[in-house]
Amino acid sequence: MRRAGRRGRRRTGVPRWHSGVTLTSLMDILTCLLFFVLKSFVAGGEVTAPPPGLDLPKSTAEQPQTSSLVVAIDRGSILLGSERIASVQDAEASPQLLIEPLATRLEAARAQMADIHRLQGADSTHANVVTIQGDETIEFRVLQKVMYTLNQAGFSDIALAVIKRS
Amino acid sequence: MRTRAGTRRSFRHEVNCDLELRPLMNVFIVLIPMLLMSAVFIEIRVIEMALPTAQAETPPAQSLDLVIRMLPDAYVVEGNGLRSQTIPIGATVAAAGASLNAAAHPLTQALAAIVAAHPGTREVRIVASIATRYQAIVTTMDLARAAGLSDVALEGAEGGTP
Repeated sequence: MRRAGRRGRRRTGVPRWHSGVTLTSLMDILTCLLFFVLKSFVAGGEVTAPPPGLDLPKSTAEQPQTSSLVVAIDRGSILLGSERIASVQDAEASPQLLIEPLATRLEAARAQMADIHRLQGADSTHANVVTIQGDETIEFRVLQKVMYTLNQAGFSDIALAVIKRS
Repeated sequence: MRTRAGTRRSFRHEVNCDLELRPLMNVFIVLIPMLLMSAVFIEIRVIEMALPTAQAETPPAQSLDLVIRMLPDAYVVEGNGLRSQTIPIGATVAAAGASLNAAAHPLTQALAAIVAAHPGTREVRIVASIATRYQAIVTTMDLARAAGLSDVALEGAEGGTP
């Protein structure tokens, strides 16, 4: 009786509680989330995100974006890549169609891109492509001047960046 | 007795077989917010345009030379040998974020009828005033493209082609 009692106490008296937090389900969620985020990077292909505060116009266009020089026009400034080149107010106020600071920088950028394409052995016509990322609220007077300046700088192929309309 | 007790102790030694997931969890917790912050979830597309070069040929006089003039409240469709049509701009064009049913828009239907009457027509000029908003121009391009006019050129109403 005594032995049996002791044995019983030993079995029931030392319960094997699992005190650690079960992380397996959380790991499953995080793994799924990680794959989803990684897939969104790959599926997007080449992505040039517009600068913060710039709302691209919505369109039904289906053509994907390709690698090119980017001119961004937000509500206050004109940017080449991420560098601010001129202000929208100055461009609007100018009686000329040509935006001088932009033209100067574009010519340098075009020469640089032509060199890169030549070194890569790619077709040099790709150096003439430029993408305009314009805010949806800008007026045509600014867009017209930017396009004229691009044309004068030798960029004849222009792509207007838009957000795909759902 | 002593031997039996020693044997019992060695059997009670427990081996933890669970995977140690906490370091992996820490990596994930750092990695996921970093990826989410840098991710771009919007789909960016482009509308391609070719600007006229100095060597560009002038269009022959007998070509259709289709033009869409953007007025503040209406479109005017003109062309060589065409009767001028005035089509009111709907609220869908004015609204930037609204979903656009391009096929049902009167401008698309008018342009599609012109394209059907003149097979092979792909070019259209959009003439906008300097105060026209960029979104309105892009929407007009969408309407023209929906009618089969894929080669779009932009022009200022006050002259001065870009």
